[in-house]
Amino acid sequence: MSETLAQLGKYAEEVGTKVTPLRKNESTIEVSQDRLKAFVAHLVNDLHVRHLMTITGLDLGQNLGIIYHFSMERDTIHVRTTVPKAKPEAVSIIDTVPGAILYEMELHDMFGIEFIGNPWKDQKLLLPEEWPADLPPPLLKTTKADQIRRRLGLEAAKP
Amino acid sequence: MSTPPNQQRREESAGLMEYSTESLVPFGPIHPALKEPEYFKLVLEGERIVNVIPRIGYVHRGLEKAAESRPWVQNMYMFERTCGICSFVHSLCYSQAVEELTMYQVPRRAKYIRTIIAEMERIHSHLLWVGLMGHWAGFDTLFMWVWNDREVVLDLVEAISGNRVHKSMNAFCGVRKDMPENMEDRIIERMKFLTDRARYYREVIDTEETMLKRTENIGRVSADTVEKLCAVGPMARYVGFKRDVRLNDPYAAYDEVPLDVITTTQGDVHALLRLRLDELVASANMVAYAVKNLPDGPIRVKIPPIIPAGEHSSHCEAPRGEIFYFVKSSGGRTPDRVKSRQPTMANLPTALELLKGQTLADIPIVLTAIDPCFGCMDRMSFYDTETNKRWTWSGEELRQYGINYYFPERAKKKSGIKKAIGPPTNQYPREEF
Amino acid sequence: MFEKLTNWSRKRSPWVFHINASSCNGCDIELVASLTPRYDIERFGAVLVPSPKHADVLIVTGVVNAQTKDRLRRVYEQVPEPKHVIAIGACAAAGGVFKGCYNAGQGIQDVIPVDMFIPGCPPRPEAIMYGVLKLLGEAK
Repeated sequence: MSETLAQLGKYAEEVGTKVTPLRKNESTIEVSQDRLKAFVAHLVNDLHVRHLMTITGLDLGQNLGIIYHFSMERDTIHVRTTVPKAKPEAVSIIDTVPGAILYEMELHDMFGIEFIGNPWKDQKLLLPEEWPADLPPPLLKTTKADQIRRRLGLEAAKP
Repeated sequence: MSTPPNQQRREESAGLMEYSTESLVPFGPIHPALKEPEYFKLVLEGERIVNVIPRIGYVHRGLEKAAESRPWVQNMYMFERTCGICSFVHSLCYSQAVEELTMYQVPRRAKYIRTIIAEMERIHSHLLWVGLMGHWAGFDTLFMWVWNDREVVLDLVEAISGNRVHKSMNAFCGVRKDMPENMEDRIIERMKFLTDRARYYREVIDTEETMLKRTENIGRVSADTVEKLCAVGPMARYVGFKRDVRLNDPYAAYDEVPLDVITTTQGDVHALLRLRLDELVASANMVAYAVKNLPDGPIRVKIPPIIPAGEHSSHCEAPRGEIFYFVKSSGGRTPDRVKSRQPTMANLPTALELLKGQTLADIPIVLTAIDPCFGCMDRMSFYDTETNKRWTWSGEELRQYGINYYFPERAKKKSGIKKAIGPPTNQYPREEF
Repeated sequence: MFEKLTNWSRKRSPWVFHINASSCNGCDIELVASLTPRYDIERFGAVLVPSPKHADVLIVTGVVNAQTKDRLRRVYEQVPEPKHVIAIGACAAAGGVFKGCYNAGQGIQDVIPVDMFIPGCPPRPEAIMYGVLKLLGEAK
């Protein structure tokens, strides 16, 4: 286990969570929303894990999961957090990691998560402008692809 | 010596956060009423770009959603077609993420074959890019000659896999087809040819006035910005970061094949040209080594169609940068979630920072330097705050403007730059199957 | 008489405008490869023009999506008569591998009328040249 991971393990214990190793150089840490900013700041500024690969969203039924994937030489560190589906507001990390800005916008498009602190949290990045306002975000399990295509006008013309 | 204009602009509008002080909305159309879908909107002050507003999403097809309703193997062929230029690495990354969820190991011969095809893809992609840079700089001869040499590596890929572009060589825990017999000598010969050509093109870009004038001291960005904005691939390596997934986290056969990661601190578009040509030579050497030392053994392990539950991620080095895939399985025949992140997305904030402070004539060169997809260059709209003019240009019109700006003697000629481009002097004989 | 001359020149030297409607770029690079010395579509007189207003033939690649649908239609209207449309690749013909995706169409014939389909994923440059020339009646 590399030195950075060992230090991360110690820090995780201090804040009340732990580092769970997965297969092949990957580890995962579960962090709550209120601790997330401080955790990421410690990771980036003190442990010098600067490269954020991407941010993934998950539909977990009642909640929406957000995973931040950090990369440090050989190790990949997944930092997981959840927000409730009923109130999908999350904390933005762009003051620590400015490169996260497009990933947060993408998550807003795909899952409807609002990142408080992101100056463009309401902008569309990937979805078309013709996206109807009452259509739910596409990557939720309850949204069906046919439904979206019909509303966007992409169905085949009748012969 | 006064700081060059690029540098001055950069100091004035340093930092991505400065976007929010501009009066124009950064991402998205300027006016909701403007229905014309321009892919880049540029705000100018006279000749200098002050702000860039990109609109991506024109190739957004909804792959991640479709992946949740297709079997695992079908997804591999779908993700391959995310991009035509780095298609093999997409399927490789996806396969690697899924393979780790199973208990099976990839055979050593399959790892070597994967490495060979991945490096051949890097060669073809870099040749494509160098040709495009020549085209946008107004040097069409370079474009024609380089793309002709590119056919050499495409012939090899076709001989091994059957298709020039979407190779479909990957399978879970292996490769689908074995290396044909008696390919070794042919591959080594052609790699030697490509190495010589790459060295020749290196000389051309170092001495030819067209390329030097258009690419030197253009496209500078600080190393700190690149690190903060999490850029990947050659965009990180041209300011000195030794960031390469093949080195940092080896996959396939990269722990056994000798790897040469090229970095430079020169930091402008000319450095990117040299970097990619040097990477081409390194890739050719890797292919030759892998082919000579190809181990025997099976090429594939058959696995059941149901992938055990779990989550895993994988990253690979595509020609443009780092590709990242995250896969979540709940033990069924279809995935629960697949997330793919392309390198251009990671490089986009850096690209926007690069553009600020450039002149209008340099836009095509800088935009091509980040190695984006084609269609991005289709249409751009401009708004000049000094004269309050708005206009739209196609990529070709912008390219002509750039050529006429740097080489005004060409603008005077009526026939433009379409001189007779003769056949290349060093034409490689066509592959006979 | 004049019409015969213009028809002959359109057949012998088609001016082509290429538009990418959400393609993966595989078909685009094969189209551009057909300009390069090995395949050289320019010896048949085909020229890639920068504006649809100068074109005789419109070449479309890609599976059309919501963002590019209107743009495709608008470009089609800008091409002056008589015009031909060629759809390159499996995606432009019927949606290709993206059929069923939420932001992918099912072929561009739902958006604009198409005269010739060139199948393949992507079609080889020879196939593209054959298709273009067959449309103009030049291929034997």
